Amino acid sequence: MPTANLQPAPTVQTPIPANRLRSLQALGIFCGFAAGAWLGGAEAPIKLVNPEISPITVSLIMVLGVFLARWSVPAFIRGTAHVRNDVRQAPHLIVWAVLAGCMWAVANTLTIYAIRNVGLSIAFPLWNTNSLLGIFWGFLLFNELHQAGWKRWLGVLGGAVCMFGGATLLAIASSHQAAPGKAALGIFAALGAGILWGTMYIPYRKAYLTGMNPLSFITFFTVGELATMTLLAVGYRGATPLWHELVSARAVLFWLMLGGFVWVIGDLFQQYATKYVGISRGIPLSNTNQLWGLLWGILVFHELRGAGQTVYAQVAGGSILMALGAVAIALSSATAREHSSWQDAAERESERYGIEGEYVRAGMEGRAYGAVATRRSVLDWLLILGTTGLFVALATMARLPHMDIGMGWAVALAVAMLSLLATCGIALWRTTRFR
Amino acid sequence: MLSQIAMPNSTDRAPRRVLRAIATDVHFWIPLCVLLGGLLLLDKLS
Repeated sequence: MPTANLQPAPTVQTPIPANRLRSLQALGIFCGFAAGAWLGGAEAPIKLVNPEISPITVSLIMVLGVFLARWSVPAFIRGTAHVRNDVRQAPHLIVWAVLAGCMWAVANTLTIYAIRNVGLSIAFPLWNTNSLLGIFWGFLLFNELHQAGWKRWLGVLGGAVCMFGGATLLAIASSHQAAPGKAALGIFAALGAGILWGTMYIPYRKAYLTGMNPLSFITFFTVGELATMTLLAVGYRGATPLWHELVSARAVLFWLMLGGFVWVIGDLFQQYATKYVGISRGIPLSNTNQLWGLLWGILVFHELRGAGQTVYAQVAGGSILMALGAVAIALSSATAREHSSWQDAAERESERYGIEGEYVRAGMEGRAYGAVATRRSVLDWLLILGTTGLFVALATMARLPHMDIGMGWAVALAVAMLSLLATCGIALWRTTRFR
Repeated sequence: MLSQIAMPNSTDRAPRRVLRAIATDVHFWIPLCVLLGGLLLLDKLS
């Protein structure tokens, strides 16, 4: 009888084959490290900008670059047809993505006030608690670290605490700013930013548990991001002064928008890390961006030139702590038992929002679902060419400030980042076709 | 068969049903409350 060979169709809760699970976990860890490099590298173009421009305006211009990148990069990689398909399958995620974008913009603005009031050395470790909060939400709401065993708990939590300690040392070493008055407000602002960013990972996880492609999620995320940032900038600066400041900043628009573009590449890797290893591992790993930011600062912009031995000891100690923490987390990937708990959470989401079980499962496994046009449309080409054209136009207006820049190191770090982009991009393509 | 799988169920995805599912999802209210708190804090700081 032919029925003897028939097997029931896999459901959301059917275990993912062990080989596939291992590949996806390794891919997620790799994406976390690549995210750190690109998020840290995004600070480099911003350092070329005159500090006289208002921080809120700087943020707004960066977010404009981010917006363009968040639409053109997905159009370039897979085409917007895939975005439409994802939205048809899980329309509720538009709301979640916009909400996450709004949270990012408010948190980013709070960090400006935090740095201004208490300095980077106090502010950075406070908002860096976002990864600890991410672990908490991952455990509480999405079954992360359930049935994980004490070794993995120790690896993830110990690694995150280690990275927090390292981040504190690095922030103290890289800070040249004494803490002025209004300290309480600055501390509240930094903590507020940490809470907003830590909670922003709830929508992230929500999206990826239900199978959404990170390339689709970011296109709606950025709508919330740009709308909120524009409202905040107009609200705090006023429309006319803001416009005058934007016009007068045209020589640095390219650098700021380039910073936003680089940041999006890092964020994209962070989204894939979140998708495949969860927020409890993906977020701490991408927080290694501070190490990369410090490398750019020290080697390319000579920020610690003339500093004492104590500062260098703090940098070395902080870097080693962060690296050890990241390694501990990287070695604590989810087991099959823990992953089955994630699948329970995915099943719950699938039932609540009426999403096809097969779509959710395909998303978790990083494989294709349904038939989607793979050719790029006219809209995709318009997005790609329009963004390229705008960046070329801005580059012709840009001026490089007179700064002591270590070009050799800049090239070396850029090559390292591009190598990570290429290898991680190829790994993503070969394993999931960017799903 | 493939096209049937790829087609979304229009009844399940009616906007009202989606909005109701979001509104009754406690996960939605956590980030929303945090966002409102962040906006209030920003207002105090400015």
